[in-house]
Amino acid sequence: MRRRFGAVQAVDGVDLELLPGEIHALVGENGAGKSTLAAIAYGAVRADEGTVEALGVVGLVHQHFKLIERLRVWENVLLNREPKRGWTIDVPAARARVLELAAKYGLAVDPDAVVETLPVGIKQRVELLRELDREPAVLLLDEPTAALAPSEIASFFETVRGLAARGTAVLVVTHKLAEVIAYSQRVTVMRAGAVVARHLTGETNADAIAREMVGGEVPALATRAATEPAVLLEAHGLSATSGTSALTDVTFAVRAGEIVGIAGIEGNGQSALADALAGIVPFTGELRLAGVVLRPDDSPAARLARGIRVIPQDRRREALVLDWDVCDNVVLGRQRTLPRAGYDAAAREVIERFDVRPPDPGAIVGMLSGGNQQKVVVGRLLSGAPKLVVAYQPTRGIDIGAAALVQSRLIEARNAGAGVLLISFELDEIFACADRVLVIAGGAFVGSFDRAAIDRGRIGALMAGGRA
Amino acid sequence: MNPVLAGILAVLGLTLVKATPLIYAALGGVLSERSGVVNIGLEGIMIAGAFTAVVVSGLSGSPLVGALAGVLAGAGVAALLAFAATRLGVDQIVAGTGLNIAALAAAAFGLVLIYHQPGASREVPAFGHAGENMLILLAFLAAAALHVVLTRTPWGLHVRACGEDPSAAEAAGIDALRTRFTAVVIGGAIAALGGVYLSLAELDLYSDGMTAGRGFIALAAVIFGRWTPFGATGAALFFGFFAALQYSLQRAGVPSELMQALPYLAALVALAGFAGRVRAPAADGVPYVRQ
Repeated sequence: MRRRFGAVQAVDGVDLELLPGEIHALVGENGAGKSTLAAIAYGAVRADEGTVEALGVVGLVHQHFKLIERLRVWENVLLNREPKRGWTIDVPAARARVLELAAKYGLAVDPDAVVETLPVGIKQRVELLRELDREPAVLLLDEPTAALAPSEIASFFETVRGLAARGTAVLVVTHKLAEVIAYSQRVTVMRAGAVVARHLTGETNADAIAREMVGGEVPALATRAATEPAVLLEAHGLSATSGTSALTDVTFAVRAGEIVGIAGIEGNGQSALADALAGIVPFTGELRLAGVVLRPDDSPAARLARGIRVIPQDRRREALVLDWDVCDNVVLGRQRTLPRAGYDAAAREVIERFDVRPPDPGAIVGMLSGGNQQKVVVGRLLSGAPKLVVAYQPTRGIDIGAAALVQSRLIEARNAGAGVLLISFELDEIFACADRVLVIAGGAFVGSFDRAAIDRGRIGALMAGGRA
Repeated sequence: MNPVLAGILAVLGLTLVKATPLIYAALGGVLSERSGVVNIGLEGIMIAGAFTAVVVSGLSGSPLVGALAGVLAGAGVAALLAFAATRLGVDQIVAGTGLNIAALAAAAFGLVLIYHQPGASREVPAFGHAGENMLILLAFLAAAALHVVLTRTPWGLHVRACGEDPSAAEAAGIDALRTRFTAVVIGGAIAALGGVYLSLAELDLYSDGMTAGRGFIALAAVIFGRWTPFGATGAALFFGFFAALQYSLQRAGVPSELMQALPYLAALVALAGFAGRVRAPAADGVPYVRQ
């Protein structure tokens, strides 16, 4: 198969064969052509050359869900396949069909829930159920665990295994090598649009795959320099709500020159914490930055002016204007302080420091891969000398190379004296970066660990305990 | 009878009369906007319905045939908007505004062309009192029918899907452009009944500018009614009440210029108090272009 987008050969002469009942991992760096290949196989994108043959329906679960937020679960799952009674929809039958599907695959959902009220993990179940209702012979999963908590990932793959056991051919497009090793039977590695390696998973290991993906050694994280921590951010009795996310009466501190990791399962108050610090929602309680009391109703602009930079969870909706080019997105929010003549230099600086590809300030951000979009976001927010950086899932859905780069830049910001609050659902990320770990559950902090005393098992248990 | 009670009853009766054209137009707007097309052209569609109904009723001698022609004319005007919005992907506000101006001018020109006089047509066979009551009743039935269609039929679900996220709808195999086109055209047919009511039920002629901004009040009713058929009907009754009140208070000697502004003021206040608390369909007014 071949597919060209403009000057980019996204997929270049790739052959891929999926067998019934197998879980096949497709891995590769940012922009290696994995998602394009999946989209071609699904039929959403036409191949310039080559053919796709499948013994039945092909289903695709998108990395960015294709759900209609304000419709109900059953309306989404059965859209355009509604059971009818006369000329009306047979709603009880629709509900029953969703419940039956949910029971069959172990994906519990409330068929009447409105999708926008659901947490990401449940939304993904809905997306999966919608594809499963079509009884696909081939199921393509594009970065399926990018937004899931550790416990959700295990149960998600249990479901996938069950599907494979029923004879479905499953292709998992991912960059998480631990999952590749744990759950796939075969793995295909892509780089720059071409297949560079094929393995039986049992005959290889994560390090070898990572080297094949990157085409060399995996970049190491920046080293942590010794810093002199002085208290930067103090929160006393902080409470806030943002949508369905609630934070209740938390007290904590972040020191300059330290990364504090917030470990927790999604939906336990992280969004409220990030939004309260960003000035998107008001808070109650007391918040001080370098001794100065922050007003509970500050605007995001006021917080920005104080040196608080928040890397939001959803880069596409909360951080970027997708129709704009890299340069305008880098400047966004700094247009009042940056002279017009400095825009291009600012963009080139971010492109250089963050290795944005293509290295073109005029490239439209919406056309970049997720990892490169995130580099633009993080690059913008770390420009200047931020005092406090709040990074909310900063490496969500991006590959090893880009993730290592983003994490390294966060560590460098810490080394330079910034306080960093790293909110992540991926424990590995927190353990790799944080000087201190706070465990969040049910909108409160339920545990605190210094880097030297990190206990993975206890942290996992504390995270899960808050949810019940 | 107690004069106060009689006054109240008169206002309530007049409320139904004044609300009915608004209900039709608002229902047309609801259907259109739930599919994702903002219908600023409701006023023009009402004009087309009112004018065509009068002309055809005069020619055929049958107000029923006239009404049918009016409905078809409204659907035709809506089809222009739908074509511009779905196939050409133009700005829906601009297209709708253009239709309003064109319809008003075309009707004024038509008066001169057909009746050889500016300002108003001659009187034509109309529905009379019984027919007017039927049309009032039909407005409420139409609201109930639209509610059922939107919430209980596959097509209604597809319309809502297209109004929220046309690309997701297309991913499910729905033709978003065709669904939007159909919704706007049917919406136009419904809205045109509001115009037919004005010219063939409340009166028996077409006069220049007789819709008097009702298409815009109906748009306010769509928003005030949270884009639901029953909500929009309730909002239309609310605005109709102020229109009725205006007539009653005029008779009581309150300056008429002030009173004529009452329904519009009510719409303004209602919308101002409502702003930020209601959400339009997510893709309302956003042209959908296939990748």
